[in-house]
Amino acid sequence: MVTLPYYNKSIIALVFLILLALLSCPVFASVQEASTNPLSTVCGNGVVESGEQCDAGGSNGPCPAVCSTSCTTNSCGGGGGSVQVDAPALETKVIIKGKAYPGSKIKILKDGKSISIIESDSKADFKHEISKITPGVYNFGILAEDKNKTKSIIYNLTFLVPTNTIITVSGIFLPPTIAFDKTTVKKGETINIFGQSVPKAEIDVRILSSEIIRKTTSDEIGAWLLRFDTQSLENGYHTAAAQSWLNSNEKSGFGKALAFNVGETIISIVKGEESSDFNSDGKINLVDFSIFLAWFGKENSTYDLNNNGKVDLVDFSILLSYWTG
Amino acid sequence: MNYPVLKIKFLIFIIFCLLFFASSVIAARLYLESAKNEYHLGETFVVSLRIDTEECINVVEVNLNFFNDILEVVDFSKGESILTLWLKEPTINQKSGLISFIGGVPGGYCGRIVGDPGLSNLLGKIVFRIPELIAWEVKDTAAVGFLDSSQLFLNDGLGTKAELKTEGISLKILNEGFVSEENEWQELIAKDNIPPESFEIEIHQDPNVFEGKYFIIFDTTDKQTGIDHYEIFEEKVGREEWQISDSPYLLEDQNLLGVIKVKAVDKVGNERIVEYRPQRSTFSYWIIIIALIIIYIAWYIISEKVALNNNKI
Repeated sequence: MVTLPYYNKSIIALVFLILLALLSCPVFASVQEASTNPLSTVCGNGVVESGEQCDAGGSNGPCPAVCSTSCTTNSCGGGGGSVQVDAPALETKVIIKGKAYPGSKIKILKDGKSISIIESDSKADFKHEISKITPGVYNFGILAEDKNKTKSIIYNLTFLVPTNTIITVSGIFLPPTIAFDKTTVKKGETINIFGQSVPKAEIDVRILSSEIIRKTTSDEIGAWLLRFDTQSLENGYHTAAAQSWLNSNEKSGFGKALAFNVGETIISIVKGEESSDFNSDGKINLVDFSIFLAWFGKENSTYDLNNNGKVDLVDFSILLSYWTG
Repeated sequence: MNYPVLKIKFLIFIIFCLLFFASSVIAARLYLESAKNEYHLGETFVVSLRIDTEECINVVEVNLNFFNDILEVVDFSKGESILTLWLKEPTINQKSGLISFIGGVPGGYCGRIVGDPGLSNLLGKIVFRIPELIAWEVKDTAAVGFLDSSQLFLNDGLGTKAELKTEGISLKILNEGFVSEENEWQELIAKDNIPPESFEIEIHQDPNVFEGKYFIIFDTTDKQTGIDHYEIFEEKVGREEWQISDSPYLLEDQNLLGVIKVKAVDKVGNERIVEYRPQRSTFSYWIIIIALIIIYIAWYIISEKVALNNNKI
């Protein structure tokens, strides 16, 4: 039997030690700890802070007020016994509800940052509560992804969230998603336009360049399809968008406008969603904005989304329109 | 029939139609407003910069000029602004009488919604002060207006410029004594005891940013007086003090061995500090090391036994 020479053992030992050294390198995990330093706690500012039982702002006072001027809960009782009046839960909360697509993943954004991912039910309804929120003006965004992983537009709402108030936002109706089976067709060929919406809705598909509107309906799982004959279109660049109707009172706006070409010549169009994902992580967010910042005002074809030779405000606008958080 | 009268009426009708239709195609309006139209010498006051829009816009570039012979800019507050990304932070040039900034709203701002409990169309607040003494020949009105270079962009995926109408403001300056009392800005400062919103630090590397070196990004808002500045502290760079900086920030410690801290400070001085602590990997990492050790030991034992057997033979 052949024995292993001593230097082979040394080599193997060395390889093992190198592997051990490599695995000893720090792995980058984020441990985020936070501390705050408010200058002082103020009773009467309408915010329940550390050390306070309640704070109704200008309504603090003696009974029958719920909260005293020292931000403790008042016990207000009558003769012949004592009755404890429990203070109502003083909180600031936002409830968001509406319609997207059946069983779709919905991302909730607050001031451009993703804070929750929820799922709509089989009827496409969704509801989400956001609590522990500082009063102020917020931009809330709702972004849905259908079963084909096509994203909706961001449905944005900007409003004031006052102190100790529950705000319910309802009536949100996300426009349908839209996609094509091909993006370049010969004049007279059929292009399949499809997407998802709420179940059993009427879908209006508008060819924006020619003001043509065609109608179809979504099925019981919200899927819709329109076979469009391009004979009536001129050669060139066109865009299409879709809208859903349940009835005259319940309808969405038009969703994302998607571009296609009719004819042989492919006309250069503005770069879209994929091109805005500068670091190719599947998201368009603060990281892409940071990369954009580094090239703003300079020349770089990668970040020049409208191909005008410079990275400028037009490109910034295109980037923000494809934001996913 | 009185043709000249008819002509005049027809002309008025045409002018009316033109004005009506001209105003109805304006997509957005930028305007300034203040609590009063007249202020005294020595007084501090706030001018709000607001937007009304029929279409969704996502980028705002504002360039303002102000009458700097009379007005001094004390501060610019982003506290209640609808803009959440600042491509160019508010810049004040007192000497030239200019204020400018570029901000964005990811996904767009589409105007006030029905039932909004407040005026949530604010872009920023400019805090002005009038000196106690001004030269006698200076005018008794001070204007703040938009330059033609101000622009808005639609959230249409194409970067289309929006039709824009702007309205500046003209303020009367009263040349008489003023008893100082708490102004709107001082009230806002006094009420703000809430630190900036919580946020996270992210570490990234990109070949097109900082030549592929590690950098951090961070972003937050303050819903009262607004963010004033950020400060960074890196444990392993041998400095005790914090450094004022912005996102993205190029890390000095490219080995990522030390704690990284970011402090967000608002206009009043309230702070929120977030730490990023590099950490060794967890359970699966140790399993791999233990497995390698076992494999090495087993191999060593087997090879020794084989050597021993060979010697016997």
